[in-house]
Amino acid sequence: METLKPDVIQEVLNTLKYIIDPEVGINIVDLGLIYKVEASDKELDIELTLTTKGCPMSGTITTATQQILKRKFPNHEINVELVWWPMWTPEMITEDGRRQLEEM
Amino acid sequence: MSTANASNSPGKWVVLPHYVFGAVSFLALSLLLLLSGDAFGGHYFHPKLLTLTHVAVLGWATMIIFGALYQLLPVVLEVRLYCEKLAICSFVLLALGTVLLAYSFWFFQVGVTLHVAACSLFISFLLFTINMVQTARSAPYWTVEADFIVTSAVWLLVTGLIGLLMAVNFTYPFLPQEHLHYLKLHAHIGMAGWFLLLIIGVGSKLIPMFLLAHCDGTKLLNGSYNLINAGLVFFIFDHLFFHTKLLPVYALLVIAGVGLFLKFVFEAKKTMQRPDIDLGMRQTFVALGLLIIPLCLVLVVSSGLSLPPALMASVYLVYGLSVFLGFVSALILGQTFKTLPFIVWMHAYEDLVGRFKTPLPKDLYSHALLLWQNRFYCLGFLVLGAGVLLREQAVFMVGALAFTVAAILYVVNVFHLVLHKVQDLKPFAYGNAKA
Repeated sequence: METLKPDVIQEVLNTLKYIIDPEVGINIVDLGLIYKVEASDKELDIELTLTTKGCPMSGTITTATQQILKRKFPNHEINVELVWWPMWTPEMITEDGRRQLEEM
Repeated sequence: MSTANASNSPGKWVVLPHYVFGAVSFLALSLLLLLSGDAFGGHYFHPKLLTLTHVAVLGWATMIIFGALYQLLPVVLEVRLYCEKLAICSFVLLALGTVLLAYSFWFFQVGVTLHVAACSLFISFLLFTINMVQTARSAPYWTVEADFIVTSAVWLLVTGLIGLLMAVNFTYPFLPQEHLHYLKLHAHIGMAGWFLLLIIGVGSKLIPMFLLAHCDGTKLLNGSYNLINAGLVFFIFDHLFFHTKLLPVYALLVIAGVGLFLKFVFEAKKTMQRPDIDLGMRQTFVALGLLIIPLCLVLVVSSGLSLPPALMASVYLVYGLSVFLGFVSALILGQTFKTLPFIVWMHAYEDLVGRFKTPLPKDLYSHALLLWQNRFYCLGFLVLGAGVLLREQAVFMVGALAFTVAAILYVVNVFHLVLHKVQDLKPFAYGNAKA
């Protein structure tokens, strides 16, 4: 994950933690779905993936990412790109994500 | 880097009616079981048993599989469903055909009603197969899952065609051999060609996904596909033309194919990241365990063992029971609560994600009801099987009663889900997301 402006990047990630994958039950950041966050003064570029290709949540998660970041950063242009490479694997779940899974 | 597409999900009116009809059929099936204790004491070619089998196979299992597949196919093949209108037409014809067929068999009126039912069902299967083939053709690349799904749809069509021919043969006999000869063909193509291939094709994608497991390679699945189809094709040709004593060999091919799929599932389970398995997946593993019963019994019924006729008749009945009320029903009872909550959730909450604190799909149904449903189902199935094998009507009725309780709990949970309404939700303040 690239970080050009650490404070903003962290804020973006914290905001994206409000988006929960409905099947797994943990947020998309700790699920390891956010591949890249880049920030400039005017733009936020996000690259994210899904747990499986063809996931019916694709539209929901990309739209939610767009909307939630627009609310948090109204003066930025938000660019969200859904990518499939590298392919997501369960090993990408963060330590926090694993802890949340154990608590379920 | 490849860029992905938007969601391919179909509208909820394509999917949900299948679940509702399936749930009502399951309840009707259990009530008919309570009225059919006397039918399990003899041969499987009995009007009540034909009714029960077709309500289970068409109204319950095929109906739910159709609905689930319209939702899951875009996930498995990464493409939109070819035509939603075709799916709705297929649903109407399947529902009509099932009701008419059940009526015809129960009252054994094998005239026009049966013909209309068989035609409705065949056209329904034809529309479904067209939808599957065309959807798979537009997929970005062909996968082993597509092999399983498309082939299973073709086998369903063949099953329906044989059924239609037999329905006509009741009134206008034209088939060269006796009815039971074709019934065996009809039943085994339906069981191995339609249910088994379809379940393996979809399961090979969904089981690792639900377990958060990582599976490499398709060697096991390719082997499974080839073995099951080889066993089935050899069986069909032998049964129609050669009449050898090699039936157990063909059965062993199918068993080996299932064995490779079970190995695939076992490998997936070893890599799963979820620390716990939920009730829906637990029931799925129960179903896979129950699959061992028909796999053992198929060897008995195909080997031509000289068992006493009464015992052999019971074995045949338990064989059928273990496929439709065992493996297939157990799987659907579990997978309903892995697929339906998500479908309902998506249509109710997808626009609210990230803005409001929404419930999760698993919050939309009662886990207590599901737990008791699974317990009563297992009890019901085991006692039903024992009742049939021992030819004890009282034991059978206890099993049917437990099965009915499971069906009632299932219907309550399904209707609770389908009728779910969005509650007042608390908007997020974007300050304290759970890490």
